[in-house]
Formats: sequence, C-alpha cells, structure tokens
Amino acid sequence: MSQPDGEILLKLQTVVDGLFLDPPRLTHQTKATDVAEWDSLMQISILVAVEKEFGVRFRTGEVESTRNVGEFCALIRQRMVGP
Amino acid sequence: MGAVHEAIRLLSAKGRSGDAAAFREFQELASHVTEADQLLLLANLAKKVFAQAVSNLPIVRMALLGACTFHPWRHLLEVRLLGEGVRPLFTEGLFDNYTAEILEPSGILGAGQLDFALLCPSANRLMKPSLAEENCAVGREMAAESARELLELCRKAHERTRAEIILVNFPLPCRQDWGSFRNRTMSTDWTFRRAVNLELGLTAPAFVRICDREYLEARLGLEKAEDRRGWFESKQPGSPALLAVLASEVARLVAQVRSPMKKVLVLDLDNTLWGGVIGDDGLDGIELGDTSPRGEAFKDFQKYIKSLKDRGVLLAVCSKNDEAKALEPFGKHPEMVLKREDFVAFYANWEPKPENLRRMAADLRLGLDSFVFVDDNPAEVEIVRQFTPEVGRVLLSPDPADYTAQLQDSRFFEPRQITKEDGVRSEQYHAEAQRKGMESQCADMDSYLASLEMVAEVQPFRSVDLPRITQLIAKSNQFNVTTRRRTEAELTAISQNPEWGHFSVRLRDRFGDHGLISVVILHFENGVAEIDTWLMSCRVLKRQVEEVVLNEILRQARARGCRELRGIYLPTEKNGIVKDLFSKFGFIPQEKGGLGKCYGLAIQDFRPLVHRISLQQDEPT
Repeated sequence: MSQPDGEILLKLQTVVDGLFLDPPRLTHQTKATDVAEWDSLMQISILVAVEKEFGVRFRTGEVESTRNVGEFCALIRQRMVGP
Repeated sequence: MGAVHEAIRLLSAKGRSGDAAAFREFQELASHVTEADQLLLLANLAKKVFAQAVSNLPIVRMALLGACTFHPWRHLLEVRLLGEGVRPLFTEGLFDNYTAEILEPSGILGAGQLDFALLCPSANRLMKPSLAEENCAVGREMAAESARELLELCRKAHERTRAEIILVNFPLPCRQDWGSFRNRTMSTDWTFRRAVNLELGLTAPAFVRICDREYLEARLGLEKAEDRRGWFESKQPGSPALLAVLASEVARLVAQVRSPMKKVLVLDLDNTLWGGVIGDDGLDGIELGDTSPRGEAFKDFQKYIKSLKDRGVLLAVCSKNDEAKALEPFGKHPEMVLKREDFVAFYANWEPKPENLRRMAADLRLGLDSFVFVDDNPAEVEIVRQFTPEVGRVLLSPDPADYTAQLQDSRFFEPRQITKEDGVRSEQYHAEAQRKGMESQCADMDSYLASLEMVAEVQPFRSVDLPRITQLIAKSNQFNVTTRRRTEAELTAISQNPEWGHFSVRLRDRFGDHGLISVVILHFENGVAEIDTWLMSCRVLKRQVEEVVLNEILRQARARGCRELRGIYLPTEKNGIVKDLFSKFGFIPQEKGGLGKCYGLAIQDFRPLVHRISLQQDEPT
C-alpha cells in the first residue's frame, strides 16, 4: 500500500521532533544544510529512526543521492511500496 | 518512542534549563543505555547541552587506528566513557593506514601523550593457506604468524607511546559460503580467523587488552552485527548495534585499567542463597538442592559463588536476620555448597545495610569501592545506592535461574591482570618472535614497505579509466593539492591536448589490489611544468606512492624539455595533509603565487627518489 508524501512528511516530522533539541519545521524543500543541528551524527540518528519507524531498508547509496526532504520522502514511499 | 527516549528528552530539557544535577543523570544514563539510537541521542546532548560539564571531566587520550571509519563509533564510545567519568580526546589515524601510523615517525602515535591506542585491524590482510597447500600444521603456523605480526605492531605502538593497546580481534563471517565444510579446513575465513583470535588471546602481552569482537558478535548475533551497506557507503566496521556493543566494551576496558578492582562480594541470604525466609520457613522449609527446580537453581548459584571464591574473591554476608538463625543452614542443611568458613565477614543483624557495609570495610581495611552488594530486595539495593554509592550493586531478578547470569553480566569480578604465569608465557612469545626474525621484519618502515611487495602501474589517461579518474577528481578532498574539479569531457579534452601531461597510478600489494589511486595532470608552458592536479586516495598514504608519482612527473617534464617544475598548494578546509608536501620533497617556496602557495624545483638538480615499489609502466602517447 502506498502513502502520499504529505503523510510521510508528517510522520517524518514526528521522528525529527523526537531527535532534535530544536526540531526544524520540515517542508519538501528543507535541506540538511539549512538546519544547524542537522550534522552528520544527526543524519545517522535520523536514518536509524526512519528505518525503524517506517519499517523500511534503504539500498546502498540511495539516501546520499537525495537532495532535500521532498526527495527523501519520495524515497521512503518507494521503499514502503516494495521492490 | 520508548521509556529511555522519554528519559533522554526530559534530561535534555533539564540540562538546557541549567539544572546542575542533570549531568549526573546524563552520566547515569550513559553508563546504562545499550541501544545505538539512544547512544546517538546522548552523543548529541553531550555535544550541545553538556559541553561545559564534559569539559570538567578528567581527560583520556586515545588514538583510533584501523581499517574502518570511526564515525559514529567514536561518538558512541565518547558517551560510554563520559558514563565512566572520563572525557576522551581522540586522534584518528588515516583509513587503513595503521601500520604506517604506528611505525613512521610522522604517524599520529608520534604526536604527544597518549593513554590508549585502539586498533581495529583489517581481516583482509590475513594470509590464510590456500586449499591446495593446506594442511593443518601449515594453517596453524600461518595463523600464529599473523598473530605475531599484529602483536609486534602493538608492541611497537606501546614502546613508542607507553599507551595501553586495545586490540579488536577478527570477526567471523556470518554467511554460509562453505557450509558445514567451514571448520574442516584452515583455508576458510571461519577457521583461520578463529585460530588467529585464539593465538592473539593466548599470546598477547599484558599491555594489550583484547576487545573480543568474535565473542561480542556471537553474543549479539552475526547477522545483527553485519552491515554490508554501511561498509560500502562509509566503511563502517558493522551495524549500529555492533558499534554500540564495541563502544561499551572499549569503555569498559578503559575503565578497568583506571579503576580499582572489586574484591569483596557481599551477599544477602533469604531468597538470595536459598529460596524462602529461614526465620519463617525454618530449615526444612527453605528451597535449596536438587529436589525442586528452584532449589536446584539456588544451589547452582551457590556453586558459581564458590567458584568466584576459588578465583580469589572474598565473600561476605549482609543479611537482616538473627545471627543464630542465619547460621543454621550453613551448619545443618545438607545441600549448602557454601560453608561458614568460606566467608571473611558474616553480618546477620537488623542494622541498616549501609551501616554494616561500612563496618565491614573498616574490619577488612578495604575501601568501600572494592565491595559489591547483591540482594533480591530492590529497597535494600536502593538504600545502599543512596548511602554508600561507592559500593557496586547487583539487584537479583525474581527468578533464581537468572541469578548467576546477572552476577556474571555485572562484570564486577572479571580478572584485570593476567597471572604471573601468563607474564612468563608472554616473554616466551616475545623470544619466539625474535627467533623467527619477526622483529627485523616489522622493525622499521623500510622493511615493512618491502614486505608489502607493492607494484605500481603508471599510465596515461585511458578512456576506460576516465570514469574512475573523474570520480577521484570530484571527490578527493584530503590528499589533493589544488582540489580542481573537472568533468569527464574536460578530462577527455586534456588527454588529447599536447600542452597537457597526465597519468594515473594503480597500486597492488601482496594483500590485494587497491585499484586506481592517484591522478596527476601537468601543464607545460615556456619550459615550466606546472602540477595542475595531484591527488591520491588516502588509503595508500605513506606507501611511497608520492615518490613514484614525483619521479614520473619529472620524467615527463624532462621529456618535454622543461627546466623547472612548479607546484601549487591551494589550501582548503580538508587538504591540510598536503600542506608541506612540496617542501618535503625539496621544492623551494616562491614569493608570489596569487591564490595559495607556489613552489619551484629546478629539474636538473632532481635525482630520482628511492622507493620500495616495483614499476609497471606504459610509454606515454
């Protein structure tokens, strides 16, 4: 089953709220570089939490190739749908 | 989100409001949390909320060396060490360059004071016997040889720095591959690595502490420890779950070096050594011995305690009881494993337990910090925590079947030092190593490099190599003198233009092929050869590839009739590693140079550099 990216963004927001000290308001345009607290350590936290919360497993190299939160949501949707 | 996540959120709010007790709570959490995601959150807090409190802790200096990346491993380790009350200052060696870092004067071990060096060696470098040549004796000798080589490296590191060495042993493969054949030959990774690990454990000298990854992964589960994606993406040694386990273990090894060992095990009686209450149930009513499952479990726990006594742990009793009643089972119950004379102190009374512990410490002339208190009653454990916090505590769970495991996993009574006999054995090992000539083989950088049997292939840009060359030009940040980025089309143009010189270097050694690892672009103009681009993959640093490259640059420049060689260093945030590259090879700094620093070298003065790499060269087109 598929989820529209809007719902995925909402769920991603709750994940991020649980990790950041000062959670950013995510939009599809948000980039990691826009958020001071979003360093490489936070990136790892986010990936571990997202894989757990969404029940997905990203494939080698594909997270690195997403350029903003919108593309990341699309990737989550793609992996939720399955192969 | 679970309870720990909630606790971490509360703690972060508390810490940010400036609550002085918050850091103490942080340390408490840091020493108990076991999940990678929780440790990551705590790492974020340490950095962003508790930086001030962290800076007040005593420092431990640790070098991180290995065939893996230490990010985020070192952050998890930092959290664990903060939980142990120390603040780590890490220096991280170059990826997969630990031999050079240890042996070379310019390696990171040369840079000042060091308390610990963590070494996570590469399993790929183990030379195991092939199926054809394999017989058990050869395989075992090769395993012993691998262990000796690694321990010699540890000795060198220790001799240079006096640091304690924490050596991570080799992981076992998780996949089926050889099937049940895996332990029928020394030619499989499974058997060979086990043999090397065993040899390491049995022969390591006292300054080497083994971080037993083989055991830790077995305990975690090999499949849970493996992370191929993490390896390919960023050279992670394993899954986040494994990193959490390794971080905990390394922090524990550090703490064991720094803190006094526990000496006294203080035991409650009722529902600890036997089931039931001796004062109420009487001698016939307590559960102990092989007639019931619970009785058997209590007896088994007593056997384990007895074995601790045989290892040298002092036993004591601290129980709320009338003394005469408490003593009764020791004298009269046929299933008691422990006897009264096994205990150096016996406190059965109605005083608060912290009082008894203090008196016991005074009687035995030992610090309270060498005591461990074991009880099934949470209230007693809590009162001991509050009034005598130095005492180690184990709260036993409701099921006596788990008691032994709980005491074992508390890890309070692990031996710290190897025995005298072990010391002798380690000396024997050292003599053995000398006899075998290992000393000379590992003794200096030059013979190490010779032993690698390196072969370099120097070639002008070929279309088949262009994708890799383009990738290196786009991504290399550290060993990159100008960090000039170019597209594949631009590189194709350069490779066809006679004003430009260009070549790439491939390197292989007896452990395998490193692939295409260096790229150079030269620009020839008015008798000057300018080094437009010189980059190299960091994994082959300190292998003398620099010498090979420079010889080739000079060869091309001469062939073009150039008189002078010009090097340019354009500093970036990441390429500090090549700051002194040109001066190191005798280039003279020039006055002007616009951006960055400009260096010159007169070609007629140049003598080819000596190195330990054999060359395989194509004529340039």
